[in-house]
Amino acid sequence: MVRATKWLPAAFVVLVLTYLYAPIAVIVIFSFTTSPRLSLPIEGFTLDWYARSLDNPLIPIALQNTAILALISAIVAGLLGAAFAFGLVRLQHARVRTTLLAASLLPAIVPLLVIGIALAVFFRTLGLQQGLIDAAIGHVLVSLPFVVLTVNARLETFDFSVLEAARDLGATRFQAFRDITFPLIRPSVLGAALLAAALSLDEFVVTWFNIGNQQTLPVLVWGLMRRGIDPSINAIATILLAALVGLVVISNLLNRKTPS
Amino acid sequence: MSTDTPSADPASVGPASGTAAMVALPLSPAGLFYVVFFGIPMLSLLVVSFWRAQGFDLIPDISLANYQKIMGSALYRGILLRTVGIGLVTAAIIVPVAFALAYLMRFVFERRGQFILQLILVSLFSGYLVRIYAWRTILGKQGLLNSALQWLGLIDAPLPFLIYSNIAVVVTLTGLLLPLAVLPLYSAMLNVPRDHLEAARDLGAGRLHLLRTVLLPMVMPGVRTAFAFAFLLAAGDYVTPSLVGGAQSLMIGNIIADQFRGTGANWPLGAALAFVVVAVTLILYLAVMRLIGWVTRW
Repeated sequence: MVRATKWLPAAFVVLVLTYLYAPIAVIVIFSFTTSPRLSLPIEGFTLDWYARSLDNPLIPIALQNTAILALISAIVAGLLGAAFAFGLVRLQHARVRTTLLAASLLPAIVPLLVIGIALAVFFRTLGLQQGLIDAAIGHVLVSLPFVVLTVNARLETFDFSVLEAARDLGATRFQAFRDITFPLIRPSVLGAALLAAALSLDEFVVTWFNIGNQQTLPVLVWGLMRRGIDPSINAIATILLAALVGLVVISNLLNRKTPS
Repeated sequence: MSTDTPSADPASVGPASGTAAMVALPLSPAGLFYVVFFGIPMLSLLVVSFWRAQGFDLIPDISLANYQKIMGSALYRGILLRTVGIGLVTAAIIVPVAFALAYLMRFVFERRGQFILQLILVSLFSGYLVRIYAWRTILGKQGLLNSALQWLGLIDAPLPFLIYSNIAVVVTLTGLLLPLAVLPLYSAMLNVPRDHLEAARDLGAGRLHLLRTVLLPMVMPGVRTAFAFAFLLAAGDYVTPSLVGGAQSLMIGNIIADQFRGTGANWPLGAALAFVVVAVTLILYLAVMRLIGWVTRW
């Protein structure tokens, strides 16, 4: 009965997903086409743009800085955020808990531009030079809400009675954490850390106002984009895309692997 | 992504043995980080908005001059108005589409809901700059859409309004922020029991009535978060208008960014502009939420 009428909703879902994926498909496809013009019809395929993009002298340093920032975000935001989420679920008062959770998510709804300039003003009044450290702090800040949210979601379904059982059986608080809690939440903490790495890899706005003259991959892409249409952008963007999608997919898989 | 969706209360079944120190210990490192690198910077931005700029130096002051300059300038007022307009139009497209998508994921394609969710998550993290740049190549004068339409013989000359226009900005922002709006709506829909809707329908509620009086109130927290994401982040974006918008579609974010990294930099003025935008968008956000609240309570 319902089957026959399902094509309209299905068409809607497909249409929306097409809208979301069209830009991604365009970048990937045109990173392999011979024509420097991004237009139809497609004439032929080549790997030249990849070779050319790797010739860019700024690429090695940009890659290195991007990797450093992603690693710092994953470790620092992962640890701070996971600990915070862990503290949250232990709070007795539901009001305090939801208020703190909402407050910790604030950096996700304040426009990145505002966060970026606020940090720039703060560092400047402290007399700090713009650079990688400033950017790293910005990256941790914008990743934290997503780590807190991910780990919190996992902990809210966590069965704390196993912990009490362990304690009743004589385990110390530390032992119970090491042997039970941590192994159970490890996949979601790891998943959240990878998410932080992905956010850092992609971060441009906060970086732009705090990194000074240093390069990252997105800063490099921005510089190229401002200069006009350059097909090597598609190649760099596709590499970035592959790294991002890889991180997000692994992160999702880790978050779903929830031993019960 | 919604913070106020109801959930089990783990603390009540949880480690009631936790002392105050045991709770404070894991909370404090991130708490300290938030205070030092989010709270204090936002406050210093507010303080600097009352300062003056002299060349590249910042002169401490307690003056409303920056705010007066913004309010007194027809240019700034115009750009502010356009920013809010583009934000509202974008949110007005995103929220209903995300709502419909989340509804279908929850009630019509229930078994594929999780899979669609994964697709949406991947698209969300598939590169902010990359996606904006991609829209420029799609919408450009010699871009994909125009060349495809010409190739098919549907148009003779490129449609000029596709790029460097308000339309281009709205199309791009919609693509950027739609995935983010689906998340809170879908998680809110997951909390709606199917039999609630069926019961209401059995009692003779019409579709529109059902939507307004049953479904909408139940997923209101998700709607609120989705609208906040769509509206606040669209109005605060500056990369999109600078890449796909023309001179006629500058948004306030462009002006703010110029005050910080442009040639005629003026940090105090930029700080004041940022607070004006935040204040205006926040007030509008609350107004729209009020409006939706009224509609559901008719």
